[in-house]
Amino acid sequence: MSLSFERLEETVRATHRRPGPGYFLLLLLAGSLAGFGGWAYSLIVRKGLYLTGLERPGGWGNLITDFVFWVGIAHSGTLISAILFLFRAKFRTAVYRVAEMMTVFAVMTAGLYPIFHLGRPWFAYWLFPYPNDRGIWVNFRSPLIWDVFAISTYFIVSTVFLLVGVAPDAAALRDKATGWRKKLYTLLAFGWRGTDEQWRHYTRAYLFFAAFATPLVVSVHSVVSWDFAVSILPGWHSTLFPPYFVAGAILSGVAMVIVILIPLRKWLHLEEIITPTHLDMLSRLVVLTSLIVTYSYATEIATSLAEPVADPERSTFVFRMTGHYAPLFWLMVTFNCVGPSLLLIGRVRRSIRALFVISLLVNVGMWLERFNIVVTSLAHDRLPFMWRNYSPSWVEWAMTFGSFGWFFFWFLIGLKLLPPVSIAEMKEELAHGAHGPGEVAHAS
Amino acid sequence: MPVEQGVLGSFSEPEAAARAVLALKAGGCADVRAAMPAPFPQVVAALGKRRSAIDFVTFPGALLGLLCGIGLTVGASVAWPIVTGGKPIVSIPPFVIVIFEVTVLIGSLTNLAALSLGTWHGGRPRFFPSQAQFNADRIGVFAAGADPTVAEQILRDSGAQEVSRVR
Repeated sequence: MSLSFERLEETVRATHRRPGPGYFLLLLLAGSLAGFGGWAYSLIVRKGLYLTGLERPGGWGNLITDFVFWVGIAHSGTLISAILFLFRAKFRTAVYRVAEMMTVFAVMTAGLYPIFHLGRPWFAYWLFPYPNDRGIWVNFRSPLIWDVFAISTYFIVSTVFLLVGVAPDAAALRDKATGWRKKLYTLLAFGWRGTDEQWRHYTRAYLFFAAFATPLVVSVHSVVSWDFAVSILPGWHSTLFPPYFVAGAILSGVAMVIVILIPLRKWLHLEEIITPTHLDMLSRLVVLTSLIVTYSYATEIATSLAEPVADPERSTFVFRMTGHYAPLFWLMVTFNCVGPSLLLIGRVRRSIRALFVISLLVNVGMWLERFNIVVTSLAHDRLPFMWRNYSPSWVEWAMTFGSFGWFFFWFLIGLKLLPPVSIAEMKEELAHGAHGPGEVAHAS
Repeated sequence: MPVEQGVLGSFSEPEAAARAVLALKAGGCADVRAAMPAPFPQVVAALGKRRSAIDFVTFPGALLGLLCGIGLTVGASVAWPIVTGGKPIVSIPPFVIVIFEVTVLIGSLTNLAALSLGTWHGGRPRFFPSQAQFNADRIGVFAAGADPTVAEQILRDSGAQEVSRVR
């Protein structure tokens, strides 16, 4: 099989053709879900947080679960685009643009949920340090302020990284586009002409972006884990949390990339560019991170069970495994540990349908993991007279499903505006494997 | 951007373009430029340009971010001391997190600014004959200010598919 530069560009350009009714139906569905979630949130704004299922001791519930889940989803984009770039993993080329887009829209989603959770969200800007007449400043020792810095930095850096990567591709698309698309690509191309001077600076700057983004991605989910770990609550106060959260984030993010890529490559006719080999490599990442997550679960359980019977840490973990939320705990273990382990079997890994189902269940499992961490510890803390189970209200569920609607709404729009594959990097990779741009052998 | 005189060759293969660049340089053409859809290593190596100086902007940018982070956390804590649990007002370990994020943020934005400035050659971009194909599937090699007859011959001998004079 061979793929020429012209055909590559034509394939990518074809993804921006006028979509069919299926696209608009999906967009309507996503928009409606987001709208319903937004309306549910408007009830909280008008009437207060009592519409949620939150009550003492469970001060955090679905909304914080959604926040942690979406931050996790956002991690794969940077992993695939930046970390694998530094490791020179070539398989990233065909898939990283979709992952980067996913990152930006997932952070956009995640960042909303702590604000939704504020009693007075219209004062959310108080979280930022700025000189004011009151002469007061934020508490930099609070993990919630670390979150503000981590999430906003991550959003800005990942957006810049995405747009910088798009510039040469936008230039390639600009030259054959017409109407408003030409204007859009001209804007996104940022004056790109492809001269050696531009490439000289671009390749160096791209390396630095990757070098900045790599520790950033590790720091962001570590910071999110410290929201929990710096407290003294049983089930939260653990030094294991940062690596455990980072691995979990990458697991959920890569699984989401697979869930999105499998239908996308068929729908946008990208099968020649995003091949089963790429999916196979991504599934190996799922196996790797799932093993780290499984190890973390085992460590948590083993260390807590090693404590005396009356120890609160042990009590909380026994409650997690056998109490009110036990079905969710075991579903989490099944989806995050047992499911991905099936991918160790080559035949399962190469079956696109099996890979899709396993990855989808990993996403469900990772949401459950966040729910287990957030809810079970609060429901079963050090004081037995305080124990109370939390159940999300319909308003919270509406906002949870609304988050998916919000994410997919922007993602679907992004797909029609930005090239879903990096044209320039694909060309570079294709040229490496053959004689020249005119007609080159397929990289895979 | 003023139009410069020279000869432009269009190539379909990076190896041929790289050969042309080397031959032009050997033939006495000091100012050889190229445009291409991707940074093909052969062409980049043949041009032999020194490494981008973006490092000298991005690194100080990151250092500035570090100082801003320290200034923000320490300054704000001293300006509004929050005494909690006997902890020091200036608590370095938690501040390191914010300082790190600000370092990355300002470092990245400086990197972006340096890239923008660099790709526009400090507001004075160098002339290259504009052709859409150099973003698509061709590599353009431009011999600026060279003897047109000699440059044309070198470009043709190196395998250029099209050669034209730019006035």
